[in-house]
This record gives sequence, structure tokens and C-alpha cells, in this order.
Amino acid sequence: MPPIINKEKCTGCMTCVTVCPMDCFGEAEQPEGAKYPVVNFPDECWHCNGCVEDCPAGAVSIRVPMPLNMVFVDAPKKG
Amino acid sequence: MITRKETLECDLLIAGGGIGGLQAAIDAANAGLNVIVAEKANTRRSGSGATGNDHFMCYIPEVHGTLEDYWKLLQYAQEFKGGKDRDYVYAYLKESYGVVLDWESYGIPMRPHGDWEFTGHKRPGVQGMYLKYEGVHQKPLLTKAALKAGAKIMNRMPYTDLILNDKGEVIGAVCVDLNGKEPAVQLVRAKAVIISTAGSTLMNGSTTMGWMFNLIGCPACTGVSTASAYRAGARLVCLDGAVAATGASGCKFFNRGGKATWVGLLTDIDGNPSGPFLEKPDWQCGDVTMDIFPQVFRMNNEKGVPIFMNCSEDTDFDLDYMIWALRHEGNGATLSHLKDEGFDFRKHMVEFDYKKGGGGGKGVGIDANADTSTTVPGLFSVGVSSGNGMVGSGPAACTGRVAAKTVAEYVKGREFEDIEDNEVVNKSIELFNTLLSNPVDTSTPTWNEAILAVQQTMWDYMGSGIRSEALFRTGLEHMARLEKKLKTLHCANNHEFMRCLEAINTLETAKLCMTSSRSRKETRGAHKRADYPFTDPKYDGMLVTLQQIDGEPVSGMRPMHK
Repeated sequence: MPPIINKEKCTGCMTCVTVCPMDCFGEAEQPEGAKYPVVNFPDECWHCNGCVEDCPAGAVSIRVPMPLNMVFVDAPKKG
Repeated sequence: MITRKETLECDLLIAGGGIGGLQAAIDAANAGLNVIVAEKANTRRSGSGATGNDHFMCYIPEVHGTLEDYWKLLQYAQEFKGGKDRDYVYAYLKESYGVVLDWESYGIPMRPHGDWEFTGHKRPGVQGMYLKYEGVHQKPLLTKAALKAGAKIMNRMPYTDLILNDKGEVIGAVCVDLNGKEPAVQLVRAKAVIISTAGSTLMNGSTTMGWMFNLIGCPACTGVSTASAYRAGARLVCLDGAVAATGASGCKFFNRGGKATWVGLLTDIDGNPSGPFLEKPDWQCGDVTMDIFPQVFRMNNEKGVPIFMNCSEDTDFDLDYMIWALRHEGNGATLSHLKDEGFDFRKHMVEFDYKKGGGGGKGVGIDANADTSTTVPGLFSVGVSSGNGMVGSGPAACTGRVAAKTVAEYVKGREFEDIEDNEVVNKSIELFNTLLSNPVDTSTPTWNEAILAVQQTMWDYMGSGIRSEALFRTGLEHMARLEKKLKTLHCANNHEFMRCLEAINTLETAKLCMTSSRSRKETRGAHKRADYPFTDPKYDGMLVTLQQIDGEPVSGMRPMHK
């Protein structure tokens, strides 16, 4: 949340648009007519990772938003 | 005016292409039925099984002995503290071995390490009940198997309501096609409908209220099952079991996924174990403390003690096993995030807690018989669409199989009926047109305003730990006022139109849960009534029900099936 599309790697196959269970992605069109995916609803990502798993170009990753970042602390020292 | 597409026709319409829906589709199509799956997203990655699940509850005779032996394990594991219909559980456990073998034939690795592996969620020295498998690609593979069997999958076509004839039998359903630039009405004539859209994950708010889709279960499951079945007159069950916390544990603020295959010890910040079951990490068991005593978090938090999953003493094997398993349980994003943040399993520990929100999987919904039939002829309920169902990929798939068998018998000799001129259809179209015509500006509310309002009401009047007649009355009055505003929700596009429909079903489900809980005049488990502090034996072995009769919700109770 939100998913990030690496524009250098993206081939415009739209797999992420197709598979996202939360409908986060949409299609956009470049002036010359080529279509490419965009993240329309970043707040609605569920972190299921389906887009990351399925992207054939490895172009999608997920940035986890700050309210979810308080995940870990130091483990106690051993001995 | 919303466009109306040409009516479709099938023997069986399956609402929701999650694990239960797809298994039902595979089996019904293989049995020769003409099957349509109406799926809101895309069955390749939809629902709570999108990228894998935490184990597969199943009975494998060569591992577990008799079915009765397995039942005893379930009892011992205290999985059934809340009470489940024994006949219902038996019916799907009987199918589980066959389903597991079939999943292997679809290409899903059910024995990734060669033999049946029942690890996790168990005490040391006790036979496990949950099969470890590689589920990350289960949905694409089940989709492939359903298509191969001949089922027709219609993606981006959410189901919204049942259509009944004058005798009260299901004759079809209303769906919405979201594939075009604008929504279109898609009616489906069907001899039977299976609802497999799960419960309502959104009616209770997330730990991170500002990020409402940060939930354990799929946030697209928003209660159309419970709400539409209620509108059609079906009896619901266990709605009083709706609680703000799901009972599942896992990363405190990162809520996708549950306890899963975390291999480590549940400890305080100084490394002292929180439970009595383990002294060192055990990859075969996990720390079962939070399965048996989910209240371990609340008890410690009240003492000012946060709780952590401490993997610092794990062996290399433990860590490799855990990281492999977590990916197959849909926790790939958690692993990537931890890596990005510089997390080291040896040096750090993850804070754990009871999950809030997303709790539609706790058994809140349609009252289903052991064969998945309901009180409405032609309506069948699968997975956690059933209030008496159990959460997980195993129960979902196995009830899907049971439903397919039941439906194959039910549809024999039944004829198609006209569905176009029906009150439900007219009312649905009226609602859709209203939503689509509301001004898209600040004069009308958005769908997420409605959801947040429901979540606040649920938290303050039902979920905060104490319940009472005065709280329920107040909450229901608030809910009634919110409900009147639902028809003013606006939507700028297909996506928001879909979310508006979800908000409407979320509120309806929340209202029904509150109504049902109000009728339970006793204290039991998480249902703590300030005005009825004692446990009343008249509810022993009973389940609370709710049904619409003459337009009004009527509460009741029925004995749990033995």
C-alpha cells in the first residue's frame, strides 16, 4: 500500500490490473496510444502480494505505509 | 439509466469464486451441470485465499486413523470452543481426503516435502490437524481446473441479490457487470445458487483505522452473503458471535495474514515465554499459546506487557522452513517489508497481537445444513458464508464439494422460470440508478464515509468489550439513521459503484449482528452483557438465529446439531 510499478521494467501486459482482488490498478494511455498500468486506488491495497507474484517482468513491489511500520524491536541479548 | 444485459442461464450460479466457489464449480461442472461463477474481482487472485492460506484442515485416514479420532483431536485442540454443528463438520471432513488428492491433480503441491506434513497449531507430542502445503498459486490452479471442467467464470461481475419465485424458491440472481465503462445489470436465471462470498470483513475496523483495508481476511468480502440471504428470507445463525477482534493473532499493525508458520517463542520484551507449551522454538508445532489462549495478548497488555514473536533462538532449519511456509500462506508482502526494513530474525523480534477487524471468518452468516442447503429452497451456502462454517481453505474447499453434490441432486427435474419481471430486480435497478445519479461532489457522502461510520458504531456499541440493552438500542438507532443516508452515496466510476454496494451490505450485516446479539440475554465468552452478567443454561448447546419474517428481524435459537 501502495503498489509501486517500476516503469523501466513494466511491459504493459496488464496482469496486475487483471488480478488485483481490490481493483487498485487501472489502465492509462500514452499520447501515442500505448497502454500501461497505473495505481488508481493505493489506499485499498490489502498486501496480498498477488501483483508481485504474477508480474512476469518483476516490475511490481509494495511499499508498506507508515501506520503499519511499527513491526519489530531488538531481541534481548543472549546469555 | 443503467444498461441491462441479456439474461444468462445456467443450472447453477456460484456467487463468489474463492476457494469454496471454485471447488463447487469444478465438481458441479464435472457432474455435468451448466455452471456460471460470478466473481467480483478475478478468480486468479480473489478472496482470502488469494496468495495462499495458513494450512489446510483435513482428515487423512493413513495419518489420523478414524474420523472419530480426528474429531477428538479437534476437541482437544479446543478449536471448537464456540461450538459447531457436528454433522456439518463431519460432512466436509469426510470429503477432505478426496479433495486433497484432487488438489494434487490440479498441480497444487499438497506434499511439497514428499509426505503428509501436519505441522503448526499444535501442542508438542500431539498429532496435527492442519496440512502444510504450497498454496501461493492455489487460486490460478483452481481457476484452471474449473475452466477445464467446463465452468464459465465471469470476472468483474459481483452478485448482489437472489431472485425467488412465488413459492419462495431460488430461480436466479441479480449481478452487476463491471467490465464496461459503466456498470450494467446482469440477471442470471439459475435452478440453484451457491453463495460463497464469505462473511463481512469490513464491519469491524482495522487496528489501523486510517488504513481500513489492513485486514487479516480479504477486504472485498463485505457481507453480501449474509445481507442478501437475509433479504431473501434465509435463516442466519451465530451473528451474536461477531466480535471486534477476530481471535487470530499475528503481526500487531501489519494485519494481512495471521499466526501462520511463525516458528519461535511468544515472549515479553525480555525474552520470557508468555505460554507454558514451549521452552525453545519448535518448527513442528509453532507456539500454540495463542491458539489455545488468544486472550494472552489482552491479559498481558492490561499489565503493560507487549508480546513478541521471538525467533532469535531458531536454528537455520527453523528459519528456512518458516520463510518458505510464510510465502505460501500469503505473507510474501510481510517478508518483503521486513527485509526492506533491515529486519534480522536473529537480532529482532516481531510484535504480535490479537487482530482487529476482518473478522467475518469467525462464523457469522447463513444457517447451513450439513449438506449446505439452507431454509430457502435452491440456496446453498459454502465456507464462511455459513455462520456455522469454519474458516480456512480446507473447510471452504470441502463444503464446496458437499454443495456441488447436493445441488446436482436438487436441480434434477427443475425447470427454468422467468426472472425479468420480479420485485427484487425492479428494486435493484432502482437502487443502482439512484446511486449512479447522485451528484459526485461534496454534497453527498462517499462509500468510505459509510464504512467508517459503521465501524465506529460497531466498536462503540458492540465491540469495545461490554454489551447491554442500552448500548444496542443506541447503536441500532444510530445505524438506522446511517442507513437512510446510504441511498445518497455517490460514485464517480465502476470502482466506487462497487464500493457503494459493499458499504450497503456492510451496514446491513452490522445491523443484523447487533440485532441478533441484543436478543442473547446472557453473558458467554466474548459476549459480555453488563445487564445480564450470568451465563444462562438455556443457551447451553444452542445457537442464536435470525430471520426476516413479515419484514421484521425475528430472533430465535436452535440446538447445535450433534
